[in-house]
Amino acid sequence: MNDLVAHARQLDPYECCGFLAGTDKTVTRLYRIKNVVSLDGASEAASFDEAKMNHLSQLSPEERAEIAFIMDAQEMFQAVKDMRKHGLTLQVVYHSHPHDPARPSVTDIKIANEWEENWSRLNLSLPIYMLISLMDKARPDVRAYWIKNASVSSADVVTL
Amino acid sequence: MIKVRIPTPLRPLTKGQGEVEVTAGTIVDMIETLDTAHPGIKARLCDESGELRRFVNIYVNEEDIRFLKGKDTSLKAGDEVSIVPAIAGGR
Repeated sequence: MNDLVAHARQLDPYECCGFLAGTDKTVTRLYRIKNVVSLDGASEAASFDEAKMNHLSQLSPEERAEIAFIMDAQEMFQAVKDMRKHGLTLQVVYHSHPHDPARPSVTDIKIANEWEENWSRLNLSLPIYMLISLMDKARPDVRAYWIKNASVSSADVVTL
Repeated sequence: MIKVRIPTPLRPLTKGQGEVEVTAGTIVDMIETLDTAHPGIKARLCDESGELRRFVNIYVNEEDIRFLKGKDTSLKAGDEVSIVPAIAGGR
């Protein structure tokens, strides 16, 4: 949990993103993934809705990373490769909300929903989504959710 | 024929079709063929040097082509290719 907050703080005011992997619902490894939303053409390639696209188009590439993330596919591949090498499976997809609460946004739910069929197609189980909010800088808030069939429910996470 | 799944952001280029069929021997071939039928699709998938963009994933029968031979991965009739935008989200 400290590592998640450390990643979020390091990239603040930009959104960070990454994976947690492990075995049998126990997380043992964290993979930081680069947020490439500021790359040319990146936001057009993501499944953002029209409102989000309009918002992003008014921002500089750098500013886009304050309200959105797109995982670097190359680093995502490297992470999955490392998981396979160590016999780990993807358990959690995380990202931070530097200025907003630790709950999935409309965009988060839309894209999680679209990815739901991808996970099974890729022979991966549905991950838990974790959000780190830095709204209160002194007290970061970390929460976990399941996003299934476009509905969000809290996920139980125990810190050992 | 090879079945190619087209993600939502690219469907305006395929007249809304979520699946198209192409004949191609490799991923590079497939992208060229798709671009002939649906101009503009290559620029969305590849950068100026022809490399796959860093926010695009392509899977052949469930496997990331980065685990195979990248854009030189060969294709055979009956293969299913999925073009998938990177995981994204935000506040």
